Amino acid sequence: MIVLVSADVTELILDRAHSAVISMDEHGVVSYWNPSAERTFGIPSEQAVGRTVAELIVPERLRTAHIAGLGRFLAEGKGRILDQRIELDALRADGSEFPVEVTVSALHGDDGWSFHAFVLDVSERRAAEQEREQLTEELRAALRGAQRRFDAIVGSLSDPVTIRSRDHRFVYANGAALDYLGFDSWERLRETPPSAIMNDYEVRGEDGREIAMDDIPSVRILRGEPAPPLLIRTVHRLSGEERWNLLKAAPLLDEQGEPEATIMIIEDVTVLRRAQLRSSFLAQAAETLASSLDYEQTLHNVAQLAVPRIADWCAVDLLDEDGDRRTVALAHMDPQQLAVAQELHAHLPERVDPTQALGRVLRTGESVLHPRIDDEMLVRTARDERHLQLLRALRLRSVLIVPMRLGARILGALTFGAESARLLDRHDVELAEQVAARAATAIENARLYSERSAIARTLQRSLLPERLPEMPGYELASMYVPARETSMVGGDFYDVWPLADAWMVAIGDMAGKGIEAAALTALVRHTLRAASEFDSSPAKLLALVDTTLKKRAQLSVCTALCLRVQAETVTMAVGGHPLPLCCSASGVRPLGGYGPLLGAFPDARWQEFSVRLRAGSSLVAYTDGVTDAQDAQERRFGAARLRDALAAHAGDSAAALMDGLAGALDAFQSGAHADDTAVLALRRSGGLGGEGEAPPARTLAHAPTIGSAA
Amino acid sequence: MARAGRIEISEQVQGETVTLSIEGELDLSTIPMVERQVDASVGGSEASELNLDLSDVSFMDSSGLRLLIELCKRAQQEGWRISLTAPRHEAATLVLRMTGADTALPFVQAPPP
Repeated sequence: MIVLVSADVTELILDRAHSAVISMDEHGVVSYWNPSAERTFGIPSEQAVGRTVAELIVPERLRTAHIAGLGRFLAEGKGRILDQRIELDALRADGSEFPVEVTVSALHGDDGWSFHAFVLDVSERRAAEQEREQLTEELRAALRGAQRRFDAIVGSLSDPVTIRSRDHRFVYANGAALDYLGFDSWERLRETPPSAIMNDYEVRGEDGREIAMDDIPSVRILRGEPAPPLLIRTVHRLSGEERWNLLKAAPLLDEQGEPEATIMIIEDVTVLRRAQLRSSFLAQAAETLASSLDYEQTLHNVAQLAVPRIADWCAVDLLDEDGDRRTVALAHMDPQQLAVAQELHAHLPERVDPTQALGRVLRTGESVLHPRIDDEMLVRTARDERHLQLLRALRLRSVLIVPMRLGARILGALTFGAESARLLDRHDVELAEQVAARAATAIENARLYSERSAIARTLQRSLLPERLPEMPGYELASMYVPARETSMVGGDFYDVWPLADAWMVAIGDMAGKGIEAAALTALVRHTLRAASEFDSSPAKLLALVDTTLKKRAQLSVCTALCLRVQAETVTMAVGGHPLPLCCSASGVRPLGGYGPLLGAFPDARWQEFSVRLRAGSSLVAYTDGVTDAQDAQERRFGAARLRDALAAHAGDSAAALMDGLAGALDAFQSGAHADDTAVLALRRSGGLGGEGEAPPARTLAHAPTIGSAA
Repeated sequence: MARAGRIEISEQVQGETVTLSIEGELDLSTIPMVERQVDASVGGSEASELNLDLSDVSFMDSSGLRLLIELCKRAQQEGWRISLTAPRHEAATLVLRMTGADTALPFVQAPPP
């Protein structure tokens, strides 16, 4: 700003100046008032000159200060407002006030002091400034509001939320995040690099593989990669606490669209995940346990079930009849540690010791959990030096022992051990107990089944000859296939035995199944054998069996075909049984005639039939398991297919005939045999009894594989 | 094999006579159903006569026959009457002829030869 002294030339310039220019003498009286001043203040020059500035343009409230200031300058020669730009309020002719920017200079001349002011109306500028200030304030308020809302929303979220900058520092964490990460103040977390926090945990993915910092979604986003949510299992290395977290991250982009930070939400899904794992685990456990009735396999399955889903290793201990314990199965994640665990369990006494944890569980049926095991505890527990060595070698941190019980009966116990970062806790107890309950049932079932199967096999063997004898003049072949229900003893039987002057052949089917039917079958077979020593008439033998069966309280019925073979003559009686078939070059035809079922009807009588078998002809006796066999369309094998199968092999040896029939049955039948199937073939090899060498007898047992009994 | 669909039993009551008509196959797997139905029809009811109509039984094996014999025995012991209507299908009559049941059991009409 330039200050001009009055001069003719300059007055001309001043008259045209944009600013208002006002001069006044030391009394405050206006001596010059330019046209711009006229416009600014609405006062013509001729009205202004000669009047005081104070009355013309100084608002009333400022007049005293104005006059006092002028007086002070004249007295002391110093002015506070001179030669600087100051803002003041000024008065217009119409009485309105407006802001002005004023620069005042003082000059001393012949007439004493004069003052010259440049005055600029700044109302527009002031208005613009005010508007800007107001806008700024509004923006600040909006920002504060956004910050408050962000804090209110994110801060009150129960899920931990963190924001991480591009240089991998936390720039924000809500209260939940502080709690979750174990920090008592934001300042401490801010100073801790995320990698240091991660080192405190063992972090694994859903599939068990280790998760590195680079896999974390927020880090991937900062690298510019897509980052789908990541489910992780963390185990705090110090506390052993296990958690399942779902990590979700989103980028915070800068103006260039580059991620400058990422916001990450850590969802704690521990409860949900555990429930999920538990139900899927129990479902899988049920399936695994149901998959086998084999005793040893079941024990092995039980041990394998828990590793590594519940624990790092699992031992199955069972109590025997004497109340002693025995480790029957052991599984370990680490094959090398398996040997240690095995030796440890072998080191435990067989006698149940209630002062030991395992012994206490086996005795009381109550679970025992040691969530944290330290060395002092190992020393206290160890029975001897070796035991301590083993305990230490296993690096045990947690042990959980749960009983396997059926009602009040304690079958044994499952021991779960954790040695890695994770510890076992009360959640595991509940799950382990449920597994143990299922395991107990499976083990008991397998035990009963294996006992029953053993009994069934023993009984079955007693119903059939161990091998077919050599019958002079005849070739023998047989086939026996038990019903698919392997633990059930079938009711079919056959037998071939010699008498002094003849050979006896019997085949039959005891109605019913299981051990009771098997016992009756044995009764029938032995009755026939014993009675034949006194009277070998087939009809009389059937009558005797009929009488024997009728004496029983329970309805006991049986089909039987009894043959007496004397050289080429075959005498037979049929009790409710399919008629035997004669296979010769001229075809296949049934022999004899039906007689009543044994043990069923009063006043039953049996007829005897005699036939002569030509050399090369075969007699085939069978049970209804053959004709009743079904194919995939539930059609029966039936008599016609049986005749066709035999006719195709009519000229063959007994063994070949049997092979042919077995092949036809196998080809027809779908799946296992629903019923027992027994077939016995006698082929007259030619010549009279004793003459010529008959080939060894053959048995087809347990088709579909055909084996020789010899 | 699930055999639930292999047999159908319908019940008809006329005075003191209950008629159970059996359609399908009578073997080890379907016997329990027949037993349950007989228990329901005869056990604790006013019925004094049971007619088992086997006309539509398409197959019968030795265990089916055993059931018939057992029911006849039970009727005798418990004091109710039983009659059987013979099956028409060869696959069902065979076991009756083979065992002599066709003449020994109380068939109201002899099964076809």
